[in-house]
Amino acid sequence: MIPRALRDPRAFIGAVLFALIALAALFAPWIARVDPQDQDLLGTLLPAAFQAGGDPAHLLGTDALGRDVLARVLYGARTALSVALIAAFGAMVLGSVLAYAAGYLGGWTDWVIGRTVEIWMSFPPVILALILMTGLGTGLRNVILAIILVDWTRFCRVLRAEVVVIARRDHVAAARLTGFSHLQTVRREIIPATIPLLITLLSLEAGIAVIAEAILSFVGLGVKSDQIAWGQMIADSRDAIYQAPWNLLAPTLAIFLTVAAANLLGDGLRRTLDVRLREDRA
Amino acid sequence: MSILRAENLTLTLRTKDASIPVLRDVSIAVAPGRILGLVGESGAGKSMIGRVLSGLLPPNMAVTAGSLHFDGHDLLTEPKRALLGREIAFIPQEPMTALNPVHTIGQQMHEHLARLGVPAGERQARAIAALDSVHTSEALLTRYPHQLSGGQCQRVLIAMAFASRPKLVIADEPTTALDVSVQARIVLLMRELQAKAGTAVIFITHDLRLAAGVCDDIAVLYAGRIVEHGPVAEVFAQEGHPYTRCLHLANPPLSGPPRALLSLPDQMPGLRALATLRGCAFAPRCPVATADCAELEPGLSVLAGAHRIACHHPARTAQILPPTDDPHPIRLPGDAILTVANLGKTFRNGPFWRRSETRAVHDASFHIRAGEFLAIVGESGSGKSTIGRLVTGLETPSAGSITLAGQDVTTPSAKTRAHRIANVQMVFQDPQSALNPRSRIADIVTQAMEAAGRPKPERQARARELLAEMALPPEIATRVPSQLSGGQRQRVNIARALCTVPRLLVADEIVSGLDVSIQAQLLTLLARLRHELDFALLFITHDLSVVRHLCDRVLVMHRGEIVEAGEVQTLFAAPRHPYTQALLASVPPDLPL
Amino acid sequence: MIATLLKRQATALPILLIVSALLFTALRLLPVDPAAMSMPPNATKAEVEAARVAMGLDRPLPEQYAIWIGQVAHGDLGRSIHVRRPVSTLLADTLPATIELAVAAMLIAGSLGLSGGLILFALRDNKAEPLAETATTLMMSVPEFLWALLFIFVFGVALQALPFTGRLDPGISRPVLTGFLLFDAAWLGQWKAFASALLHLVLPAAALGIAFAPPIMRVLRASLIDIYHEDYIRQARLRGLSETRILLFHALQNAGLPTLTLMGVQFGILFGGSLLIEVIYAYPGMGNLMVDAVRNADLPIIQAVGLTYCIVVLTINAVVDALYHVINPRLRAR
Repeated sequence: MIPRALRDPRAFIGAVLFALIALAALFAPWIARVDPQDQDLLGTLLPAAFQAGGDPAHLLGTDALGRDVLARVLYGARTALSVALIAAFGAMVLGSVLAYAAGYLGGWTDWVIGRTVEIWMSFPPVILALILMTGLGTGLRNVILAIILVDWTRFCRVLRAEVVVIARRDHVAAARLTGFSHLQTVRREIIPATIPLLITLLSLEAGIAVIAEAILSFVGLGVKSDQIAWGQMIADSRDAIYQAPWNLLAPTLAIFLTVAAANLLGDGLRRTLDVRLREDRA
Repeated sequence: MSILRAENLTLTLRTKDASIPVLRDVSIAVAPGRILGLVGESGAGKSMIGRVLSGLLPPNMAVTAGSLHFDGHDLLTEPKRALLGREIAFIPQEPMTALNPVHTIGQQMHEHLARLGVPAGERQARAIAALDSVHTSEALLTRYPHQLSGGQCQRVLIAMAFASRPKLVIADEPTTALDVSVQARIVLLMRELQAKAGTAVIFITHDLRLAAGVCDDIAVLYAGRIVEHGPVAEVFAQEGHPYTRCLHLANPPLSGPPRALLSLPDQMPGLRALATLRGCAFAPRCPVATADCAELEPGLSVLAGAHRIACHHPARTAQILPPTDDPHPIRLPGDAILTVANLGKTFRNGPFWRRSETRAVHDASFHIRAGEFLAIVGESGSGKSTIGRLVTGLETPSAGSITLAGQDVTTPSAKTRAHRIANVQMVFQDPQSALNPRSRIADIVTQAMEAAGRPKPERQARARELLAEMALPPEIATRVPSQLSGGQRQRVNIARALCTVPRLLVADEIVSGLDVSIQAQLLTLLARLRHELDFALLFITHDLSVVRHLCDRVLVMHRGEIVEAGEVQTLFAAPRHPYTQALLASVPPDLPL
Repeated sequence: MIATLLKRQATALPILLIVSALLFTALRLLPVDPAAMSMPPNATKAEVEAARVAMGLDRPLPEQYAIWIGQVAHGDLGRSIHVRRPVSTLLADTLPATIELAVAAMLIAGSLGLSGGLILFALRDNKAEPLAETATTLMMSVPEFLWALLFIFVFGVALQALPFTGRLDPGISRPVLTGFLLFDAAWLGQWKAFASALLHLVLPAAALGIAFAPPIMRVLRASLIDIYHEDYIRQARLRGLSETRILLFHALQNAGLPTLTLMGVQFGILFGGSLLIEVIYAYPGMGNLMVDAVRNADLPIIQAVGLTYCIVVLTINAVVDALYHVINPRLRAR
């Protein structure tokens, strides 16, 4: 039994991939068997086990401090996924509440929220995130907060446009005429129609959040240095691409797979849930 | 000597599990200088004939039998692109969207003339001449489509269609999207150009009256087959097929004594039903069908001369008569339930520093008495819908006052809201948009009780009652709107508004866009409900014949103002305002009964 | 026409003021003390306090903001705390480099996106369509900095085909004129420098461009599919026009409208994305300046660079808006 939403092969592959990554993150201690923070200064920059000079104890080799790459990638998935889920959800809540208000109420509310989004979007997201991180300081919580504060506009813009279309439909006016309160009207006549769009956006946003976290960690403004993050691993690996390529390849591949899972799921859902998500609004 | 001849044409739609005959055994012929009308309700297959001719069929449809010849070309085997626009021209249904919005009329005219092989130097003169032939000025050449009215766009498209002196023109509902007064002029224009050049025309329409006025020959389609075919004069002198007769009797007349409408049960079989159809497709709805009709499908046979019909019992058609029960149980009008005085509405657009104003309604005064059916008639942009929205409180008036059941409700507010909810309800035009696609029918029709906090069992009981009252099957209570037919959806739409039986019902164009037989069903339903329940109706429409059939009094609106008001019978018999006169004159005349 | 366009940009200035105020306030709330940072570590408390007064940090925030905005309006962006040079010189050095990179990347993104979109559209209703679409989805899953690393790995390190650090080979003297290296080199006729600059631009611009191409492909494809359902396309077919003619004369300009809007948004985001590319390719642009400033909490630079990014985005918006007006008569004729 596959839910209808996952009938599209893309959505299905995306969901399975995402589930596998989540399982890997969850069971990281059992899969890795090595502490990702254990340093071995005698066995630094080991190549992967299947390459010449590899150590079978370190399947994907070790980094410049002799820490196990595989273990770090697996534990890094925990960081990436918590950012993906919490930040995407947070951005959705903030963005969609404002979008419902703007789209349904119209008038001044819409104007103020619209202008706020415009001001927000006059910064490239990377720059805004950097400035926010400068203000907030490093750390997982702040990374999540920064992503929410940057990306809520994405939800707000797309959803507001949708809400405006739905709010113009006659059944919304009819609900008001039969006596529904504003809250009842939004809950019964508007929100249900936007759920497919929200789910699709949420899934795409999860991928964006993973990238954002990796970028911030890459420039050293992401999580604290004792937390394991893929972006940081990539930044650390750049000086030793030759000796230990898996230092770079493993986290790169991990980012790609996670983002691809989110995008495949989102693209598939867009089809199965029949969301008319205009690309220029996404 | 026909320019186009189709013989036993069968068009098949292939789906995953069935092949459905969309058109069956269709044989038509058009001679130069003649107009053939293809008449039928939506889904009858009339537009498909046009698509076969153009060759622009969806990939899952194909002609599986028959032949199609045009002026020595076999249209089923030869490529058609070269003929299109040159020998065979098309006039579309939606003129506003059939022109490219980013190019000027001139650019599109020039492009068309270039494709016809007109040398560059002559194109401007030819374009001006073409516009002149449709009585429009060459000033249009520098305009963009969005700067033109629907009528002007259609004139441009007609000019383009006739620019190549085509042998055949196919007009698919060319006037449906236009206002009544524009419709008449466009039809006249087409006739003029067609007569001048001796062009053969296929005129596709759902409007029997219009076809009778425009065409030389007529073919009536039902469920993908031609059921009646012949010269207009002969067909309407004596309708041979029961369906044509029923369609005719379902149309409310514009002259003569008022009569009840013949309302056919159910609806035409849908595409899916066509795959397994047995016997005559019309038999289940036919008032004079016999047992053998459901068994054996009748072929098209000659009734007299060129008049052919597909019916086993042509003699029984004349037995079909309009129902004789009195359509208007006259109820003594009560006191005024709604009084509107000097009502005005001006819409303001844009932010305050570059505001533009449009005056939608100006100085409108009228009243409705309890139990009275009042119509507001007007063309698009006349402000008739705005009045409905002002009365229901969806818009706030800029001037004047509205008194509803003894209380001033001019400005919508929390205080007037409860009073409004109890006294006035609205039926919206388009059930597609008016019904929440995610709600169950039972929930939709009892929305008012949910808002009032009534318990669920009570609501379910009321839902059953309402569905029965609307002659809807009880099992649809648990369905969602997309599982219903168009006519059923509109009944649900009405049921919701009548749930708590308001004293005033506002209905905005609720029968426009529906097929005639469905429209007759709804009008009959409204007349019956009026008898059973006690409510007044503000009926907003553009359709004069419907007004005459249903309402007691009428207001005629033109550019935001009420130009004439009066009792329906008197006003229709002797319209005083020039606009009302013009409006009435532009409706095609009644068919002989 | 020009008046209408200017009027439509009336909101740009207020936005800029609000952004600058927000930026200023946000950065003043930081737990860092610019005065202390500007002094040597062994400075006494009194010395730091004197520096604070000299820098105007003792005044109320609105006053500080007014002073700063006044200076900015006169072209004085302050001095960097860390490198102790005027911020305006730093910007003049780095902004042209970033613009050069971003424009080159946008050209690549645009041409890849538009041609890809047409190919995707041509594949509609084809068996290969889901495959092609999945390919774009996967392409979208590779962010610009991964492309950058991948290109270094393949073309720089493995194939050793292209340079991947800086803007010029070490031995070549830099043509000095406007800061736009390609332009300067060509203008001054220093073709060796031109070739070197061009080669150095290839990888960073390609990495940035390729990352931003897939959304353009998709929006062009989606708009073309939408437009082919429009009545005027059907009517054009019924008039017997050829498919090529329909695509070129009727479909592309209409599909161009949403595509243009998206490309405007993309260009803004791409400008921000250049920051990472600059870091990875050690490209001396505004992005590197920003990252260094952030690491050193060099407030004057952060403020100025932040504001510059904002001005760039607003400028792009204005240009896109103007172009939109030119190709969309429905807006023009009001």
